[in-house]
Amino acid sequence: MADWNLLEKLCTARGISGREDEIRALILKEIKSCADEIKITPLGNIVAFKAGKQHPNTKLMISAHMDEVGLIVTHVTDEGLLKFETVGGIDRRILPGKSVTVEDGISGVIGVKPIHLLEKDQISKSVPLKDLYIDIGASSREEAESCVKPGDMVTFDSYFDRQGGMVMSKALDDRAGCALLIGMMKAQLKYDTVFVFAVQEEIGLKGARTAAFSVAPQAAIVVESTTAADVPGVEEDRQVCRLGKGPVISFMDKGTIYDREYYQLAFQAAEKAGVPCQAKQAVAGGNDAAAIHVSRAGVRTAAVSLPCRYLHAPFGMIAQEDYCSAGQLLIQYAEMIEERNAT
Amino acid sequence: MQELKELVFRLCKAGGTPGDESAAAAAAAQEFPGCAETHTDALGNLLAVMGDPKSKNHILLDAHLDQIGLVVTRIEKNGFLRADRCGGTDQRILPGTAVTVCGKEELHGIVCCMPPHLTGGDRDKVPAPDKMAVDIGLSREEAEKRVQPGDRILFRTEPKSLLGTRITAPGLDDRSSVAALIRCAQLLTEKPPRCRVTFLCSTREEVGGQGAVTGAYGADPSQAIAVDVGFAAQPGVEPEKCGKLGGGPMIGYAPVLNRGISEKLVLLAEKSKMPYKRDVMGEDTGTNSDDIAATRSGVPTGLVSIPLRYMHTPAEVVDLQDVENTARLLAAYIREAE
Repeated sequence: MADWNLLEKLCTARGISGREDEIRALILKEIKSCADEIKITPLGNIVAFKAGKQHPNTKLMISAHMDEVGLIVTHVTDEGLLKFETVGGIDRRILPGKSVTVEDGISGVIGVKPIHLLEKDQISKSVPLKDLYIDIGASSREEAESCVKPGDMVTFDSYFDRQGGMVMSKALDDRAGCALLIGMMKAQLKYDTVFVFAVQEEIGLKGARTAAFSVAPQAAIVVESTTAADVPGVEEDRQVCRLGKGPVISFMDKGTIYDREYYQLAFQAAEKAGVPCQAKQAVAGGNDAAAIHVSRAGVRTAAVSLPCRYLHAPFGMIAQEDYCSAGQLLIQYAEMIEERNAT
Repeated sequence: MQELKELVFRLCKAGGTPGDESAAAAAAAQEFPGCAETHTDALGNLLAVMGDPKSKNHILLDAHLDQIGLVVTRIEKNGFLRADRCGGTDQRILPGTAVTVCGKEELHGIVCCMPPHLTGGDRDKVPAPDKMAVDIGLSREEAEKRVQPGDRILFRTEPKSLLGTRITAPGLDDRSSVAALIRCAQLLTEKPPRCRVTFLCSTREEVGGQGAVTGAYGADPSQAIAVDVGFAAQPGVEPEKCGKLGGGPMIGYAPVLNRGISEKLVLLAEKSKMPYKRDVMGEDTGTNSDDIAATRSGVPTGLVSIPLRYMHTPAEVVDLQDVENTARLLAAYIREAE
């Protein structure tokens, strides 16, 4: 049975790229009793070693990232409003009217000009980032600067809900991956395995790159959340993957051509574990695999993802069933990679 | 201010889109002080009456109950809900927004936003509300058991305190004015007015003001003041054309408004040394005062607006100081008129 409380704790914790401290502390607390060795790398990755019943034939690293997309304060205006930049790939159309929290709990909203005062052609136009700002209720620069400064982190206010077999929350990308890794670590493993909780995926994979160097694995599985476009108005051939059809296995995306044998092995693992799985039916997106598979002399790499609607928005949605299936698949898949010879 | 804030938050938490204001009306009915007698009418208006029922001097104070939202138009074969605007909802705030679907039970939902890999070059455009969909994560069969066309959808955002006395919540347009009416009634409670006062919390303002039309007809007042929200200065909104957060009530001047009432309100604001702003309009006011003034054989009508930022989004912002001053100004007007 999945630990939904753990997933909720991880998703509601706040940490944009470079500011993963709260997530890291939460994860360390969860894994300290089940890891045999824990190391924090200079950039802040958690590298945790978990001994299995035996040594593997292939040294496997399983990785998920801790950071979430969000905003960062760049400037305080004379009126006391906060200008910002996005951290991670955010479609600017999801920003207007959203409720946010700045740094340590300063509440704000992202304001737009009232619809009544727009020219007709502006009504269906998205608002350029340069015209957006966060209003924290300050009436002057001084008042705003008394509690906020450039560089402060901004996260979306969100809820964590389970409804109709789904989970809706912010930061499912990739706290769901983190939760799956923690779940594996709490189980009895057949082979020694290295688990990585990486920083800074959303702004260029810097965490995974340095973690992979430090671990020097022979094989890697990246556990992610990936775009599911199974929503009205999107043709079936452009939906990429679908909720409820099981974890998603990638053959290729914008950053990586995945190890072909491992790709095929994933489907065998799913069959053996008795869970559904689906291929990612698009060459789109990218993840930490892009940095990991070119680490040192090269790492054979696979990606197992949860299909997630509304990625990089204040609310994503995954299917509880896919999450549970991914947990079962990963255990089986890891064993099958580890028992084989590396080359 | 703490009590006033809690009042506003309680009012905002009870949702009410046009034509479906009963929860908002029930929440407001509980808040009017004991000496005000409340009842509702055929269009769902809430009326609270205090003072001398025989007095020929009958003042109507109006604020609207409804807030903007969406209405379910159909359920797709995969369980997604199609919806359209209910009131003047700003479509630019819809993508990715959390909503509450008010079906047989309350359901959580998300307004679909296009996945980034499919948006390509058209990030400049925001689809029309009827081209979007609401995802409640249910199959069509499960969705149909709980939701039907006509059900309303509210924005799901918690009311929050901002710095100082500013607050944000969906529906501050016009619950902050409803709060001002309730606060005004509280101020009058100690010594009931010698005139007759009807507080009208009217329905359907966001779709044309039908509640105010029938509510004012039914009340048959001798004079009226409509209370609504007005634009507060913010980027893109010229300061000379609007009010200001913390700048006090905006006192309306418009052809349809009774100049004597406007002047009296200004005088009273000055007398009580509260900040205020003359809010001058050359045409219709776009508020219930337009209809109230034309009720039966005509009603001398004034307009007071509470400055508000980001109107018709889930991120509306007001300053509680302005709500309190509006209530005080209305109470002072009634004291003066009795």
